[in-house]
Amino acid sequence: MTRDIQFVLNGKEVAITCDPLKRLLDVLRDDFGLFGTKEACGEGECGACSVLKDSKIITTCMVPMGSVQGCEIMTIEGLRETARGTCIIEAFADGGAVQCGFCIPGMVIAAESLLASNPDPSEEDIRLGISGNLCRCTGYDLIVESIRLAAKRGKGLW
Amino acid sequence: MVETCYIPKDLAEALRIRKETGAHPIAGGTDLMVSHRRGTGVVPKFPWPVMIITQLKELQKIEVEDGEVSIYAGSTCHEIEASELVPYQVRKAASLMGAQSLRNLATIGGNICNASPKGDLPVPLIMLDARVELVSATGKRQMLLDEFIDGPKRTRLQDDELLSRIIIPQPKAPFTYLWYRKIGTRRANAISKLSMCAAATVDDNGIIVDFRSANGASGPKVARSRAVEETIIGLPVDRLTERLPAFLDAYDAILAPQAMPQYRRSSTRRMLEFFLSEVSRRPDTTIIE
Amino acid sequence: MAKKPIGTPMRRTDAVSKASGAEKYLSDMHFDGMLYARMVRSGIPRGIITDISLPPLPDGYRFITYKDIPAGGNNELVMIKKDYRCFAEQDVRYVGETIGLLVGPDRSVLVDLLEKISISYEEQVPAVTIDEGLACKGGAFVGENNLFCDFTIHKGDIDSVLADAHRIFEDEITTGWQEHVHLETNAALVMPDGDKFVVYASAQCPFYVRKSIAGLLNRPYEDIVVRQTTTGGAFGGKEHFPDVLAGPLLVAANVIKKPIQLVFDRHEDGAYSVKRHPSRTRFKTALDEQGNILGMDIDVVYNAGGYESCSYVVLQRGVFHATGVYNIPASRVRGRAVATNTFPSDAFRGFGAPQTLFAVETHLCHIAAALGVDPLALKSKYFLRQGDPTVTNGHVFEKVVLPEMLDQVLQASGYEQKVAEYKRGSGKGIGISFYNHGGAFTGNGEQMIIKAKARLHKRADGCVEILVGSTEMGQGLQTAFTKIVADTLGIGEDKVLYPNPDTANVADSGPTVASRSTMIVGKILEGAALEMKERWNESEDFFTEDEYKHPEGHPWDQNTFQGDAYIAYGWGICAVEVEVDPLTHEVVTKGIWSSHDIGVPIDELVVHGQINGGIIQSLGYAAMEKLDFHPKKGFKQVGLSDYIIPTSMDFPSQGASLVHNPYPYGPSGAKGMGELVFNGASAAFIDAVSRAVDKDIRAIPIPPETLTELMA
Repeated sequence: MTRDIQFVLNGKEVAITCDPLKRLLDVLRDDFGLFGTKEACGEGECGACSVLKDSKIITTCMVPMGSVQGCEIMTIEGLRETARGTCIIEAFADGGAVQCGFCIPGMVIAAESLLASNPDPSEEDIRLGISGNLCRCTGYDLIVESIRLAAKRGKGLW
Repeated sequence: MVETCYIPKDLAEALRIRKETGAHPIAGGTDLMVSHRRGTGVVPKFPWPVMIITQLKELQKIEVEDGEVSIYAGSTCHEIEASELVPYQVRKAASLMGAQSLRNLATIGGNICNASPKGDLPVPLIMLDARVELVSATGKRQMLLDEFIDGPKRTRLQDDELLSRIIIPQPKAPFTYLWYRKIGTRRANAISKLSMCAAATVDDNGIIVDFRSANGASGPKVARSRAVEETIIGLPVDRLTERLPAFLDAYDAILAPQAMPQYRRSSTRRMLEFFLSEVSRRPDTTIIE
Repeated sequence: MAKKPIGTPMRRTDAVSKASGAEKYLSDMHFDGMLYARMVRSGIPRGIITDISLPPLPDGYRFITYKDIPAGGNNELVMIKKDYRCFAEQDVRYVGETIGLLVGPDRSVLVDLLEKISISYEEQVPAVTIDEGLACKGGAFVGENNLFCDFTIHKGDIDSVLADAHRIFEDEITTGWQEHVHLETNAALVMPDGDKFVVYASAQCPFYVRKSIAGLLNRPYEDIVVRQTTTGGAFGGKEHFPDVLAGPLLVAANVIKKPIQLVFDRHEDGAYSVKRHPSRTRFKTALDEQGNILGMDIDVVYNAGGYESCSYVVLQRGVFHATGVYNIPASRVRGRAVATNTFPSDAFRGFGAPQTLFAVETHLCHIAAALGVDPLALKSKYFLRQGDPTVTNGHVFEKVVLPEMLDQVLQASGYEQKVAEYKRGSGKGIGISFYNHGGAFTGNGEQMIIKAKARLHKRADGCVEILVGSTEMGQGLQTAFTKIVADTLGIGEDKVLYPNPDTANVADSGPTVASRSTMIVGKILEGAALEMKERWNESEDFFTEDEYKHPEGHPWDQNTFQGDAYIAYGWGICAVEVEVDPLTHEVVTKGIWSSHDIGVPIDELVVHGQINGGIIQSLGYAAMEKLDFHPKKGFKQVGLSDYIIPTSMDFPSQGASLVHNPYPYGPSGAKGMGELVFNGASAAFIDAVSRAVDKDIRAIPIPPETLTELMA
């Protein structure tokens, strides 16, 4: 069975006809060709599938399309086109945050979500802010420092 | 297998569908979409009809009426954590569930109706004598949350009912001391191995006029016993220490012998002992940590 | 203009592409007509398949088994040995062994079909633990005694030492399975390409893959073109294991003639992929009356699982690191890799060394506690020094800068003050560990087996392409090699290109393992770049190639295991401070400090990131990564909600420093580091917890419930 679902994706109004139980993650990757959102655990534990839904960070592997009607979704592809997203990505690149990269789009989303509510976070705030994003390569320290760098460079953006 | 998924536009329609089809509600989806997943690129499959209720605004509020706090079932953990109307321990439990992304999706209704023995929110709610309100197309009823959750993954929800709200009564007097502790599988983004929630009220004469304690992830249901609690109620605070061993032994008996029995028993014992010995010191702070 | 030191951080070549979500990994790639595959596996640990019952398969769906291997092909995955089968035939050796591949266009239909496949077995009694394997429970299924290998190394006369000893200290230390949890799961895709095949794989060793699977179709290696895709983490889990995906896919693609993709979901990776070898190390350590260590008699057993794969090499490394950074006057180390009906154990960062290093560090802490001395005082007496004989009667060639490293760590951590302040059993503790890692392949592997080559291409557009088989998997190799080549040629880093290797285009530089890439391949690249520099103006477009040259003076006998097992070592020291919650026995880590000698850092930021990551992974190994095994069903904790790896909140920021100690045969003086940084933190953590609760700890991991049992 299918439903027509309209929502805003990276600033554009879009529509899709699909099973309302189809996962938002699969719609983004398979129907809209947006590969930046990754599947790494399928159960909401790792954060690699994170996007912003109405400005709130969510894990798309557990979201049925039926609950996306009328929402605003921003993926890494949308975020990277903004000044805030660019600031975070550049800080990650300069700060040594990226190793294998698989967790990183999710981390960038988490960084945006954190800075949007707390533009000048402490180390503890940052660690809490990314605690839903698992990374196996970096041990987190340089990701934390890169977010701090983004906050410093991006004064006025958040 | 039936593959029907409804998306009602309001609560009345949801109740009608529920009555006609028995469709199971999906709110945040954080339990159901994971437990019924079938892999990458494949739609989750349910053995019964479902209805998505994330969009029902009638179930998304938190308000106070006659001193009782109503948390409507569609409220997310994030909303509960952020609301100053909600009692401390419930906010604390909400704040420690999963990670931020989960808290933005998961609802109190889902957490309660999933009835996992490791569930976080029922622990403080049961300690606070919370009630649930169940609505159907034909009426509504209430019962204690502790009765609503029947056993592991089992509730008394009828096939034509939806959980509408959780009502937290106000205690006769505000608690003097509060305790909440969750031991997770790690320091963040953790499933509970054990959680303990306790509260004590000491009056001006130094008498313990109220004491409650509830344990999560320690058995098929949240562990709480008024009978054991009453062995301390009425005691002067300075007689607590001598009563402690007997009380702890009695409390131990309400914890079920499950996996990690030694760890759960001994940690619970130490936490309770600590809380009560702090209470007997009569510190200035309400929240004992 | 003064040349900046090579270690000055440069922005990683792949950073923006990855951070912006533009970089494509295997599951992001699509090909016309692509089909999907799902693996069908053994559901029992040991037995004979009596029946495979399939539902009717719709058009376009096929079930591929060993029967689809063409005449002339062999049902083998050639890893180091030829013991690994591509498909099970009649017997199965472990839960998860590959029986077949279900292939078709729609993933939803595939799942429906999978659920309806039913396999019947005649079950046999499995051996699961080390003890059961050694006892040949259910009857030996490998040789006569379930041993894939059994060898012993000697230094001095341990039997005399034991006979004359004043006191003999016995001990047994065990470690468990560990899962890699590379965030990108195992993934591969095979497609026909004319009369050849192209394999795309998330893999560490593209040349290993083609060598492993070409024989399935009886083809020369060149007919199997392997292209590494951008790899989302590996840690050894994608050293040999990609063969297990690519082999069946190749057989399937040969029959179906379409691109076929296989991507594991996380639970499959958890339940059905290779793990770190569990270990049991027993000590008999001889002391004299003054408490000096005279000798160690060590028995090491690794649980190898159902196939040997690289267990012999893992065991060798474990054995050669069994006395750690110490000059123990006499020793005997016996190593055995035992076969059990569990998923084959395989490469994982450290490759056997973490187990024995953890064991010797922890054992020495137990001795120190028994003698009433500080572990640091005991251990530092035996630090190896330049020229000292090793456990295989080789020598340490480099200057050992452990003393300078120790100064750094003591200063940064406040170890000495804290030891004085935190009484044993007080709930607070600080621990310290010492470790090393022999760089590159053991013994004569580099010059006798690998014979690595590296190639460079100067292009007409002024760019230089790096053509090596080494792979970027997050460790920063793409960046490191870019720097080495740019630095040597004196050109901008933006003029150096290093695409993911394609076996049709690049030189075989050997596998990206053993912490050998910077040290060995980087050096060869430096040589190729030097030649290119000399010949720069000769032509617009030309290639240079260089190959491995083994430094003279490192005798090694692979039969007696005597001589220089490794020609250079990385060295490390780690200190960890903890506080044990008295109510819940949860361990809170308050501080982590380390110092490493890796020669010279090729990029300080890359090195910093590797240190942080390796240490956290090692702390997870000790503190929380419990992986239980059910004898009938296999691994218990298979998803990320129950296999617990550290989050950003589990450990504090680290203090990390380096001591520069240039290595003459490494590029710009660099040595290997990728695995070294895993080898020590676990022992430092356990030392700290031991002191905090005043109890000897003999097994890892120790989640709080295990600590409670210990303290009871």
